[in-house]
Amino acid sequence: MSNSTDKNQHDLVIIGAGPAALTAAIYTTREDIETVIYERGVIGGLAAVTDVIDNYPGFSDGVKGLDLAEDLRKQAERFGAKIELGEIKSIKDEGEFKRLTNEIGEDLLARSVLIATGSDYNRTGIAGEDKYYARGVHFCATCDGAFYRDKRLVVIGGGNSAVQETIFLTRFASHIDLLVRSNLKASDILIKELQPFIDSGKVTLNLGVTPKEIVGDDNGVNKVIGTLSDGKDKDFPTDGVFVFIGLKPNTQFLKDTSIKLNPQGFIITDSNLETSMPNVFAAGDVRSGATMQIASASGEGATAALKIRECLEGRLHSNEVKQLEVMP
Amino acid sequence: MVKNITIFTTNTCGYCQMVKTYLKAKGMGYDEVNLDQTPARREEAHRLSGALTVPVTVVTKTDDSQEVIVGYNLAKLVPAVS
Repeated sequence: MSNSTDKNQHDLVIIGAGPAALTAAIYTTREDIETVIYERGVIGGLAAVTDVIDNYPGFSDGVKGLDLAEDLRKQAERFGAKIELGEIKSIKDEGEFKRLTNEIGEDLLARSVLIATGSDYNRTGIAGEDKYYARGVHFCATCDGAFYRDKRLVVIGGGNSAVQETIFLTRFASHIDLLVRSNLKASDILIKELQPFIDSGKVTLNLGVTPKEIVGDDNGVNKVIGTLSDGKDKDFPTDGVFVFIGLKPNTQFLKDTSIKLNPQGFIITDSNLETSMPNVFAAGDVRSGATMQIASASGEGATAALKIRECLEGRLHSNEVKQLEVMP
Repeated sequence: MVKNITIFTTNTCGYCQMVKTYLKAKGMGYDEVNLDQTPARREEAHRLSGALTVPVTVVTKTDDSQEVIVGYNLAKLVPAVS
């Protein structure tokens, strides 16, 4: 299908290179839709910085996140996807083409765009978090866990990521205090995997603890102060803190565009995964209503690719009344 | 001018992979210090970067001055190696 003649003019630009983006690229490039992917961070997204992914279909023993990301990249590149390491800073609707501007001010023209920028981990916003960032406060266990061999750690969070990364960090740490504001919200299977570490005393599960402050000195972090459900404060001595308290969408670059976001900043799409800007689609964790699962992101990437093909062939908007879906 | 580049990494670090991918794409060689295989050098990475994280990329120039880049940060890495 490729109609692109100018080097800065493309059939499809995909923003992001996580599972949704790479799956979409596998589909579009196999259909000869010329596809360029822009990634500002890690190819594979959050999946690439996850130790082991146990619930992605087809891997009976699980798969290392880095390995899955690498295989997705190779598969997309095998069919001709081009990956650029850089950041798209803005997107403008100019009718047939969308004008995208990257971090060094270069413009790209795209007949269609897929936004698959995913999400990043939220921050707690408590005192000490910024001050000790990367010097005792961390958001990537697979990157930084090795610095805490035989040290005490605090993990903040109670969802799947917090529990999974706590299990990963047990290979390094002498002890982990897991601080959970209410109750564990992780899947049953992850909680079961965590239980032996609780039973052995390697992990202490602290429910009903709201982190208040991260305290340290010139040598780094030495404790987290948490507020218990009775309102009293308690010290949790530690050498480091890992934070996994939910996700925020990577949509800051869209705030001055006509692309509609929900109140949390996730992109609103219609049932074709198309946004409020024609021929611009969204898939994966960045989309309002996303389930934050790698398998779902891949599925949405495939769906978006097929809809983009219809869009480029002029078939998508023929008989439709566009209705955006606002999900919680 | 760049004389040599050393990257401190770990086995499971996705951002380390990205630094290596970027340098390979630019045709630049580097030495890798894998801290999982040589944990004794963790302190060296910490001393150079002031941080408890990887990747730490140390770019040594021909005048032996050094630039240390913490994390996968293209805004700092690109000018440091160009």
